[in-house]
Amino acid sequence: MPVAALNEDIGLAPHAASAPHTGALLRLLTCGSVDDGKSTLIGRLLWDASGVTDDQRAAIRTASVNRAINGEKIDFSLLLDGLQAEREQGITIDIAWRYFETPSRRFIIIDSPGHEQYTRNMATGASHADLAILLVDARHGVKRQTRRHAAICDLVGIKKVVLAVNKMDQMDWSEDIYRAIDSDFRALAEGFGFTEIMTIPLAALTGDNVVQHSENMDWYGGPSLLNYLESVDPEPLSIDAPFRMPVQLVLRDGDFRGYAGTVTSGEIRLGERVVDARSGLGATLSRIATMSGDLDVAVKGDAVTLELDTDLDISRGAVLSEAKRRPINADVLEARLVWLADEPFDPEMGYLLRTATDLNPVTSMSVSALVDFETLASTPAHACGVNDIADCRILLGRSIALDLFHDLPLTGNFILINAIDGSTVAGGVITWAQSGAPTVGDSVFVLDRALLARGLCADLGDSPADQAEFHRRAQEAAILLRSVGVPVLIEI
Amino acid sequence: MTALTAHLKLLEAESIHIFREAAAQFRAPVLLYSIGKDSTVLLHLARKAFWPAKPPFPMLHIDTTWKFREMIEFRDRTAREFGLDLIVHTNHEGLARNINPFDHPPSVYTDVMKTQALRQALDAGGFDAAFGGARRDEEASRAKERVFSFRAAGHRWDPRRQRPEMWQLLNGRLGKGETVRIFPLSNWTEGDVWRYLQQENLDVVPLYFAKERPVVERDGQFIVVDDERMVFEPGEKPEMRKVRFRTLGCWPLTAAMDSDADDLDAIVTETLAAKLSERSGRLIDHDQAGAMEMKKREGYF
Repeated sequence: MPVAALNEDIGLAPHAASAPHTGALLRLLTCGSVDDGKSTLIGRLLWDASGVTDDQRAAIRTASVNRAINGEKIDFSLLLDGLQAEREQGITIDIAWRYFETPSRRFIIIDSPGHEQYTRNMATGASHADLAILLVDARHGVKRQTRRHAAICDLVGIKKVVLAVNKMDQMDWSEDIYRAIDSDFRALAEGFGFTEIMTIPLAALTGDNVVQHSENMDWYGGPSLLNYLESVDPEPLSIDAPFRMPVQLVLRDGDFRGYAGTVTSGEIRLGERVVDARSGLGATLSRIATMSGDLDVAVKGDAVTLELDTDLDISRGAVLSEAKRRPINADVLEARLVWLADEPFDPEMGYLLRTATDLNPVTSMSVSALVDFETLASTPAHACGVNDIADCRILLGRSIALDLFHDLPLTGNFILINAIDGSTVAGGVITWAQSGAPTVGDSVFVLDRALLARGLCADLGDSPADQAEFHRRAQEAAILLRSVGVPVLIEI
Repeated sequence: MTALTAHLKLLEAESIHIFREAAAQFRAPVLLYSIGKDSTVLLHLARKAFWPAKPPFPMLHIDTTWKFREMIEFRDRTAREFGLDLIVHTNHEGLARNINPFDHPPSVYTDVMKTQALRQALDAGGFDAAFGGARRDEEASRAKERVFSFRAAGHRWDPRRQRPEMWQLLNGRLGKGETVRIFPLSNWTEGDVWRYLQQENLDVVPLYFAKERPVVERDGQFIVVDDERMVFEPGEKPEMRKVRFRTLGCWPLTAAMDSDADDLDAIVTETLAAKLSERSGRLIDHDQAGAMEMKKREGYF
């Protein structure tokens, strides 16, 4: 079996028996618009790398003739059109997931729409990817859209990008064009946290440098797209990272009591100390249980059940950590988020903050700035709506265990949930968090009833309408104060 | 511990994570068990997710009364072996009206005996979440499916009203009247399912293995005759042929394929080299364009 043979080639730590081999599966995001030839590129990749079966090939050939988009040629983009609404309108609405494998690796393609109004879909798709393919049209070079795509990838934590310079056939396979686009992109990407950028000149329609090396571009000595995807290392297992395991469930069976969860970073061994980040209480790891047999060590990615020598009396939402490098306990945090819901942010609305496995009501939230992802400029704001990228400040009613996204992404990300209808309204990354609650008397400004009644609300009486107006003004005042960086508590 | 193929271990961990998230967030989940290979993997992963405890939910089988006899035997044996609660539901109203796959078009039969039956069973059990073995690689509309797939009142699927899913964070807060379908095998392919069955050494229904079976050929598809209810076209009579099933549904609506693969190793080899997509043997999917999407909108899995 080719896939089994692959295991031999992946260098792994001695405890390989329990370590997930992250290199065996690559999740890649494809960003770009239909105009850049994105669907054609993915279709070509699937077609040439044998991700397409004979009956699908026949159906695509028939449909290509029916649509007669490019005459006799096969319309590879038909491989990707999913929903009826999309076929009727000839557009892509939603993220589509595709699967294929080669003898060396299993691939997941996350295909997201590229147009501006679909920023939310792109951010959603990107959050699942190890690597992004950013597509540019050789005729147009790096565009504002490319910058936006790169910025979204960076926001959700993608470290490796391929810049696929498509339609080289229409630019006479010019090396100069390729070099100019490559250097434009590298200049643009300087502000981002990418660790690896690979620029590949190709032509999706003809297949040059997609799977096969192009004979039209002798000057290019690098790999074809597929060769590169087969050989690139996803982020190596970071054994140095601090151990974290958010608890999903407490499992009980007779005398057995274990904490079930997936290790999100680092590793933990039998006999080591484990700490509940929030209470600070510790215990010793006595057993790592799985149905396939007990383990000596659990590493990032393992779904396990941990038994401790003493009961920490914790439940879902707790984050188990190593004793030394612990999460931050915070009840005020700053974050950058992408707004996903059609309804804009509403400071009066109840929101819930969902971190790894924890769910907490948001006491108050304010937007401080909007980020323009095409210019990367930040402008002060206190509102945000669908597809916006915003910086915000969130206060919670109690402190929770979390990390900064930059340090540990899987305990530093979150979604915001509308408390009334349960919908997911935003996804974000934690950029700053305060350890220790900002309590009354601390550096927090308290907006109380007496203070407001003295001036801002002096004209208001006790009627329900007046009281509603009182609350509205209090919220507005808090938003203004928070937007200039003053932590505020409303107590009315 | 068996040495799983590297990427299967990652997929397994992802599926276990999904099972645990669902069990923690929903009030009354149920596992849709359809007896096939995907259900076998689904059930195995459910057992792993909660081990040493049992999965905290029952299994539900929608019995159209047109399942192969070997499937029913396998189902009952499986439930017994793992000590799991098994709920079997049939749409008796449809049965009384004699809705069957011979006299009715596949779309009508499937709607009444599968889709409506599923809705009845979910409502009767008060279930707010149902695990299913659907995979995104099966069909175009499934390629866009979420892990937590929300259904409005009446179990309707609206592709435009699905929630974005970011990172590993699964949001199980239900709105009014909403229920959810959960797909832990979303990122698995057919090849992964077979390799996993092989490596975990799991039992599957014997119909998956090649054997001489009574078969009639219709429109290039081989239909296995399972009992005396078979309605033959003029001139048709069954002949023995060495076939196996790549996918299992209701017996007159699922075609078998020529094959000599009579053990898991041979099936894995055959599947990885397959030139036809898996659902090409599912007659109900070819009924009309966008057939699966229509069925999903009506509340099918």
